[in-house]
Amino acid sequence: MKDVLTAISHKGKQIEWIDECIASGTMKDVFFSPDKSYVVGFYRDKDKFDARAKDRLQTIVGVYKDRIIDGPNGDYWEKLLCWPYDTVEYRGCFGVVVPTYRKDFFFSHGSINNDFLGIKGKEKNGKWFASAKNQNRFLDTREKGDLLSYLRISILLSRATKRLHAGGLAHSDLSYNNVLIDPEGRNACIIDIDGLVVPGKYPPDVMGTPDFVAPEVIKTKHLPLGDPNRILPSILTDRHALSVLIYMYLLFRHPLKGGKIYDQDPVKDEEMAMGHKALFIEHFSDKSNRPNLNDVHPAELPYADVDKLPYTILGPYLKELFDKAFIDGLHDPQKRPTANEWEDALIKTVDLLQPCLNPHCSHKWFVFDNKLAPKCPYCNTPYTEALPVLNFYSSRSKGNYLPDNYRLMIYNNQYLYQWHTNRLVFPNEKLADPQKKPVGYFVKYQGKWVLVNQNLPDLYDVTNKKEIPIGKYVILEDNGQILLDKANGGRLVLVQMVNN
Amino acid sequence: MRRLPVYLLLDTSGSMKGEPIQAVNVGLQALISSLRKDPHALDTVYISIITFDKEVKECLPLTELSNVQLTEVTCPDSGPTHLGDALEVLCKKVDKEIILSTPDHKGDWMPLLFIMTDGKPSDLMKFKEMAPKLKSKNFGNVIACGAGPKAKEEYLKQLTNNVVLLDNMDSAAFQAYFKWVSDVVNQGSKSAGVTEDLELPPAPEELNIVI
Repeated sequence: MKDVLTAISHKGKQIEWIDECIASGTMKDVFFSPDKSYVVGFYRDKDKFDARAKDRLQTIVGVYKDRIIDGPNGDYWEKLLCWPYDTVEYRGCFGVVVPTYRKDFFFSHGSINNDFLGIKGKEKNGKWFASAKNQNRFLDTREKGDLLSYLRISILLSRATKRLHAGGLAHSDLSYNNVLIDPEGRNACIIDIDGLVVPGKYPPDVMGTPDFVAPEVIKTKHLPLGDPNRILPSILTDRHALSVLIYMYLLFRHPLKGGKIYDQDPVKDEEMAMGHKALFIEHFSDKSNRPNLNDVHPAELPYADVDKLPYTILGPYLKELFDKAFIDGLHDPQKRPTANEWEDALIKTVDLLQPCLNPHCSHKWFVFDNKLAPKCPYCNTPYTEALPVLNFYSSRSKGNYLPDNYRLMIYNNQYLYQWHTNRLVFPNEKLADPQKKPVGYFVKYQGKWVLVNQNLPDLYDVTNKKEIPIGKYVILEDNGQILLDKANGGRLVLVQMVNN
Repeated sequence: MRRLPVYLLLDTSGSMKGEPIQAVNVGLQALISSLRKDPHALDTVYISIITFDKEVKECLPLTELSNVQLTEVTCPDSGPTHLGDALEVLCKKVDKEIILSTPDHKGDWMPLLFIMTDGKPSDLMKFKEMAPKLKSKNFGNVIACGAGPKAKEEYLKQLTNNVVLLDNMDSAAFQAYFKWVSDVVNQGSKSAGVTEDLELPPAPEELNIVI
């Protein structure tokens, strides 16, 4: 049995930890509390840990924790942000007290063949899921989740990043090492928050993790610290890292690692490919960095094949943001999409999902591209039935409806929610519990698609000039118009039937 | 995805017989098992193990981490330490196995080399011939470990600036060493500091770093 050490924290609490290091990061050695409800991370390098670093940490566990975790919707943020809550000093070493990760973020099945890698019980580091090889060859199917899992994980990460940025904070080291994800339970959590950067106040002490460092940071890393042209992590570089994370979780490949060779020396080559020469592998006109399938490990297929699985399979909203992130904004940080834009586009994309008809499909869902003869891009199973699409319009002034650039693809047993029926409702952290209940659902009934009214007092079939009371249904017909909500921001739908 | 080749050059001369070689075997198992729990290593790492006593043996040809099957490393009852010969075999293997970048193909990462010995080279002529050749090869990092009281660091320093010493040759010391090896291999996937100096991960207490 190892000793249990104790110290009184700066907030006056008794902090205990078992004197056995459970993990070592770049900066810290981490120790479990005896009941494993929290960990204490001690900073190794006493010299680098100066008064300013202490001040920064105390601001994070103090003011910022009060504002974000103990502020409005704090319960929600606490699940997404593994926030340090206290600091402690022991024999000249400074430590930070952080809650233990929830048990969903540890593998319950691990790898295939009876967990031959022995990872059961280990943390679900995001890299396990963002790599085609790990997905194809190692992970137990029960750990992998489906396309909806990765969309939801991306939504949660965008939302958590949005919250940090809204408070003026930059994470500064977003990467799959600092994000735990649980595809099975569709959850995500940002960790290593003690490195937060408060712009103008505390400079970052890390550049970031390879694969996620923004091109301008790599391009200027040869300059000394303090040089006005040296670029360090910030909210703008977080935006790059977030875009890379989302691309990797949804497509299992890196957006900048393609076939182009910049230098024979692999270190220089990598630095150029991620730095000043960085080029999107799926750039619409400059195709010089498309992956060379001869250089790809067979286990990385089909994900490494951008012809077979181009990013456009994720639908129009995400395509637009990937273009902003990796074409317009790659070398022009101000043009990068914000976390908020990602959250919106991802949520809208969820409404374009269709379940794949193949019960063995790896992704279970695909984004319907509004084309004729749709088929699942992952397993090529065609979709064979007529498919209703609802195009949303909303009222800006009385009787005047404008398109919302938002549509909903219908599948059997799909639910309709308030964020579909009213433009002013968003499915985010502010959603009240009653708003989380469906207001209607769609089924195929006697060969026709119908919307069943569960809780839509205003539901009105405009085409046939008929009110649809709660408990009754309306048939979806091509070009039919249905009013969902008469209130301010209420939506009207135009039905489109796609025949296959 | 580039490969990261990792070469291990292990001393199996007579003096390693007994607890030390047992500890090395346990350490190797632990190393492979720990690397396999790392999703970054699984994506890139390839391992090769070469042993040397009076003969040089390729125990494990360069193999993708997930396919590695370790066979027990054994050593003779007594005999010399032909480190020079081992370096020669290694250089030939590296020339043959490492995929270099060409204008059309991406090559490997620069390989890592870990050398471990508990004595000094018996084939000094060959060693002196091979030391500069080794340096001319493009290794990302060469780390030499002198194990136990008889290890001579002056020879290891001719191969690399990264020399570590293991005071003891018990299983705890070897275990700590191989754990550290796995940290060094994984270092490339971790956060990088804003200052440029590339440091090795902190060594365990049992290891002394000689620069």
